[in-house]
This record gives sequence, structure tokens and C-alpha cells, in this order.
Amino acid sequence: MKQPLVSTLFDFIASRIPLHKLDVRHMITEKEVPVHRMSWGYYVGGLALFFFIIQVFTGMMLLFYYEPTVSEAHESVEYITHFVTMGALIRNLHAWSASFMIFCVIAHMLSALAMKAFAKPREITWIAGVLLLLITFGFGFTGYLLPWNQIAVNATKVGLASIDQMGQYLPAALSHLAEDVRVTIQGAPAIGQATLSRFFALHVVILPLMIFGVIGLHVLSVQLHGMSPGIEDKPRRKDKFFPIFILKDFKEWGIAFLVLFILSLCLPFDSLFPYPLLEPYNALGSTPDGIKPEWYFYFVYYPMELLPFWVIIVVMTFATLGLFAAPWIFKGTSHKTMRWIASAIAAYMIVMTLFGENIYHAIKG
Amino acid sequence: MLELFAFVGLPYAAILICVAGTVWRFRNDQYGISSLSSQFLEGKKLLWGSAPWHIGILIIFLGHFIAFLMPGVWQRLMAVPLLLALAEMTGIAATVMCLLGLIVLFYRRLTSARLQKSTHIGDFIVTALLLAQVGLGLMVAGGYRWGASWSTGTLTPYIWSLITFSPEISVIRDMPIVIQAHVVGAWLILLVLPFTRLIHMVSVPLQYLFRSPQKVVWNNPRRNNQAVAARVTQESRRHFLKAAFGLSAAGLLLSVGVLDKLGRFFQMPGLHHDEEANLLETRLRRLQLTAEEKELELERLRSDYIYVAKLAELNGTVGKYFIDYSMRPGLAFRAEDGWPMLLSAKCTHLGCTVGNQVDASGRILCPCHVSYFDIKTGMPNEGAPAKAPLDRIAWVVRDEQGNEVATESPRGSRTGRLDPTLAEGYSLFIVRSLSAEA
Repeated sequence: MKQPLVSTLFDFIASRIPLHKLDVRHMITEKEVPVHRMSWGYYVGGLALFFFIIQVFTGMMLLFYYEPTVSEAHESVEYITHFVTMGALIRNLHAWSASFMIFCVIAHMLSALAMKAFAKPREITWIAGVLLLLITFGFGFTGYLLPWNQIAVNATKVGLASIDQMGQYLPAALSHLAEDVRVTIQGAPAIGQATLSRFFALHVVILPLMIFGVIGLHVLSVQLHGMSPGIEDKPRRKDKFFPIFILKDFKEWGIAFLVLFILSLCLPFDSLFPYPLLEPYNALGSTPDGIKPEWYFYFVYYPMELLPFWVIIVVMTFATLGLFAAPWIFKGTSHKTMRWIASAIAAYMIVMTLFGENIYHAIKG
Repeated sequence: MLELFAFVGLPYAAILICVAGTVWRFRNDQYGISSLSSQFLEGKKLLWGSAPWHIGILIIFLGHFIAFLMPGVWQRLMAVPLLLALAEMTGIAATVMCLLGLIVLFYRRLTSARLQKSTHIGDFIVTALLLAQVGLGLMVAGGYRWGASWSTGTLTPYIWSLITFSPEISVIRDMPIVIQAHVVGAWLILLVLPFTRLIHMVSVPLQYLFRSPQKVVWNNPRRNNQAVAARVTQESRRHFLKAAFGLSAAGLLLSVGVLDKLGRFFQMPGLHHDEEANLLETRLRRLQLTAEEKELELERLRSDYIYVAKLAELNGTVGKYFIDYSMRPGLAFRAEDGWPMLLSAKCTHLGCTVGNQVDASGRILCPCHVSYFDIKTGMPNEGAPAKAPLDRIAWVVRDEQGNEVATESPRGSRTGRLDPTLAEGYSLFIVRSLSAEA
């Protein structure tokens, strides 16, 4: 006999969010973490969390000096970098840690994919994770604009203009819709104070609120369900979550902090850009050479330069939907195949990120 | 008579009996020369009793013996106030340790039925004697301060007089009763030494202080397993504590370093007034730029005509940037025929601002994704990312008197004519009415 829909729904929620397991002993002292050759994947998520914590603290510190207006933004960032004691360090920490965080989030997602960690009953963990990925990209995109220098504003302009591009594929009556969306995001027909205010609000209030909620759900469901076994075979052994795994996690955090701190002390993130791109944004001048997004958008940026726009739209839409639906799409896929799929995606991301520019120049001349 | 017995007779008897008794014990009960460990009967309280007691009493013994054996050296050391205070404090602390240890041991004897099975009357006598002796010692230390100093001139000669068989009790007989009791107590302890557990002193178990801890357990499989399990728990606890300690120490060091940096972040940077002035100047200039931008915007909202340039200033090689009615950049050129050409500078690909340098083939470049636009038509080159031409911007040319002499609509249709001889006086404007039409 078929179950009524409502009770199926309740069963689904009950088995995905097993709140009866919500006690400290189950979640901490009794939890065990399998040890196998994919175990490194368990630590990447923790590292992402660590870098996020760094972001929260350095971000709050930067807020003490940053001024989100078109006339003051660039000056206040310069002031932090050159005059505030340890200001450059804090800003570099924020910038480097942002990149590390995004790297860890992507690596964490790929390792989860490779381990088939989204399999029942961990669908909600996975979906929360995909949301976290998108929110993290949102952080990257909105934060990039805030220093209000040439590369920041122009790259944002380019990013937002791609929304306009969608207009050409809409039926004539709706073709202005894309532009309306962009203008709404920008807050004005041209990128300006309204855009800065909106991005600032998103970056420091709205996205943080969202991410705190989703991280809570994500981590809670990880603790409720325990780590995904990750491989088909029985793991060689298991570590106690507390204190063994957590100590190992802290060890990784310590190493990560050391690397991050030394890097931030020695190498300003800005030093990777030629100076003209770091001048204050000039609305009236021409766009300088070498405008490009941050490295973590290369995997979509360079194909966008090379392929017809509709291809990008179709692929990105399917990729995003596919990520959300992965638990159901790959329900019957073997762990081995999952590892192949994840490796293929990883290979694509690495090649595009490292060599995207070369590929672009090789093809465009 | 009583004094003579207490300070001369008793000591000699005690020493004699102690030596003879020890020899007798050694010959008849060699394996009994121990303290008869009761650790396997009760271990927890033993630790908290035995350890402080033994540590304390050894320190006190050491003090007493130095004062007795090397009175001269000791006297000179104790002449230094700091050392005297140190010796007294150490002594009192050790005495308190002894007392607490003894109380625990005594309590342990009284409360454990298992222990009472193997407890003899001698054990109680010893405990009582020791308690009394330590108590008295504490009273001496508290009531007659700086004993470390005064004892070398009083009690040391008394003991030496006994050892050299010329007993001299003139000093001790006049001393306070508490001190006298303490001395008598010492002889009594010496007296009972061979016949009680105190005999373990002669085996001088000093290595107990340095060897790794041992545990006396019943040797049967169950006990054995228990001991192993206990050991494992202890080891893992030790490891956890070590790791936790290491982590907190590292964390502490880290936070000291990090907080030092972070703390200073919030302090007002002490700028030299030159730096301050430069900073303020830069900020002011930025504010002025913003204000100018706002003025441009206001002008575009209010005026029907916006001045772009003198026609004579324009040329066909370097475009002049201006801001159109929608606050977007435009470029003004002058063609070979002398007529102005106004193009939007907003790239039709992704909205970058197009460059203003015209290349040999009459094109301007959008640097973002490399599209070349022909300045005459606004058309992008073949295969450029941009597909649509740059928008033309409508214009009006006025002469010196302000009369419109020529216009161009957004669609490119021109009216009027330009007189090359009057070109010096011509000015170029963009027009709201024509822009709205676009």
C-alpha cells in the first residue's frame, strides 16, 4: 500500500534530521571518524571553517576603519594599509584567507563528491554545502568591489553586464528584464554609490547572517549523522572524534594559521596586480588593461570569453541544478565512478584556473 | 632527678636499646626490616598521606642534622636574614606537610577495616608519637621563632655533650617545657625504633624518591588485567593532558603574539602632521572629484545642452572623453571633413570604457576583451566579443553667438552646414531633446 504523501514527507525529514540523536554524548564522545586514503577530505571542511572564522574576525576589524562611500572607500583602504598599525597585516589576512577559504570550500565539495558523501541520509548536509559554496562565491564577488579601485569596479561591471547578455535570449517582450535585474542589483543605471552600498550591505550583514544559519545546519547535520564512510570497504580503523580527530583538526588549523600569517606578513595580496589597477576607480577614464575577476571565477570567466554566451548559461544552469540534485542523480553510482567524476571536475578547475589565460590567448591570438 | 633521667638516662638508654635492638632485629628478622607496605590494601589515601609525610620529614631531618653536625657553618649561614627566613619557611612548610600526611595516614588506619586486620598496637604507638613530636615541633617553631639559629648554641652542644660522654644539661633544663618535651619525644622515638615499622629507616630507602612509581598489587589474572587497564587509562589520560597542555601553551603563545598585533590595530596611528596633512589633502581631492561628478549629474538633470568641447580642440587621433546624459562615458572625435563624431564609450560587450587612442586603421580598442571599434561607424571588428556597434550620440554645434549651425540625430542624419572659416568659434554640445529621442 502506498503511504500518504504527508507521512512520507515526515519520514524523510525525520531520517534526515534525526533530532533524537541530539545529545552531546552521541555527537561528540561517541562519534567516530573512519581512517582511509580519502580521509584528508574530512579535514578540508574544517579548514574552510577555520578560514571563515579568520574572515569574521579580520572583517570586523576592517569595519573599524573602512568607509563605504565612493569618495572614501579607496582612501580608507589605503589608510588601513599604510597608516593603521598592523592594518596591512589584517587586510592581507582577510584577502589571503578569503582565497584559502574558497579553495578549501571547492576542495571540500569535490572530496565530498568523490566520497559520495551526499548519499542517504546526508542529502541535507550536501544541499546546505552547495548553498555554502554559492554564498562563499557571493562573498567573493561582493567583497571584491569594496576597495573601489579600478580592477574592482571594472571587474564588477563586467560581471554584472553578463546579466544583460541574457536579455538577447529572452523573448522580445521580456528582453528588458535582464537589464532591469542588473539595474536593481546595481541600484542605479550605472555602477556607483548605490552599488557600493548594496554590495557592502550584502558583504557585511546579509551574507554573514545567511552563512551563519547554513553553517549551523551543515555542521549540525554532520555531527548528527557522523562522517560519511567515504569508501566501499570497511575502513582500516576509526578515530574517536573527541579527542583524536578534533586534535588532528586543530593541528591542521595551527599549520594553516602559520602559513596564512607568514604569507600575510610577507606578501601583500595586492602585489599580484599591476599598480594601475589599484588606483581609485575613475568613472570618466578608460578601462585599464588586464581587468579580470578573482582566480576562483576563472573556471567560468575564460570559457565565457571563448564560447557563445548561451553555452555558458546552459552549462552553468545545469551544473548548479546538478549540484543540488547530485544525491538523487548519482544515487546508484559506484564510489569508483564518483571518484572519476570528481577527478574530472577537479582537473577541469585546475587547468582553467592555472592556464585559462594561456588557453584564451592561444585561441584568440 | 627527673631532669637527669629525661635528658641523660633516657638518651643513653634509648641509644643503647636502639643499637642493640636493631642488631637483634637484623639477626632474627632480616626480612621484617621494612615498613610492611599496605598499598595493596588501600592505595588512594596512602598516596596523599605517605608522600607528603616522607617528603616533609626528610627535609626536616636534613635541617636538624646539618644544625647538629655542622653548627659553625650553619650558624654563619643563618646570620644572613634572607637565608634564615628561607630556612624557617621551608621548615614550617615541611612540618605542615608532615602533619597533614600523618593525619591522613592516621585517619586511613582508623577508617579501613582491611588495614585494621594488619595493624598492630605498635603502629598506633608510632603514629601517636610522631604526631606528638611533629605537633611539638610546630609549637616550638611557632612559639620560639628562629630555632634554626638559636638551636646551634643550645641543643647542639647538649647532644654533642651526650656523644662525648660528658652530659651537660644546664642549658636544656632551663628551656621551655615545649622544647624539652620535643627533645624527650625524640629519645622515645629512638627507643621504639627497632621494635616497630620505623625500622625501615635503617634500610635507607632513598631510591624511593627517584625511581618511577610502582604499584603493589595481588598477582592474579583478574588483578593483573585490572592493573593493565588502569595503566592504559592512566597513560591515555597522561597523553591527553600532555597534548592539552601543549596545545594550550601553544595557543597562549600564539594569542599573546596575535593579540599584540591585533591590539595595536585599534590604537590611533600616531601620524606626523605632514603625513596627516597629505592624507587629508588626498581625501579632500577625492571628495572634490565626487562633488564634481555629482555636479555633472545635476547639470545633466537640469540643462538641455551640455558643453563637450570647442570643435577646434577635437581631432581624429585622440578622442575626448565626456559624460553623456545617462552619466556614461562618451568619446568625441572630429572627422577629416571637419564634422564632429560622438560615440558612446561604453563597450557593447560587457560595458567597459573603450580607450580613446585611435589606431592606424581608424579604430579604438576596448581593453577588457579586445574589441576594436571603427570610429566612423562604431562597428566592432570581425570576431570581436562585442557584436553591436557603439551607440552614436546626437550633437549640436553652435557658433559664438549661440546659434545652432549644425546637428546630428542619434540615427546619424545631419542638418545644417559647418563653415570651415568660422570653425574656431564653434562649440560642440550634446542635447537632451535629441538624447531622449534615442
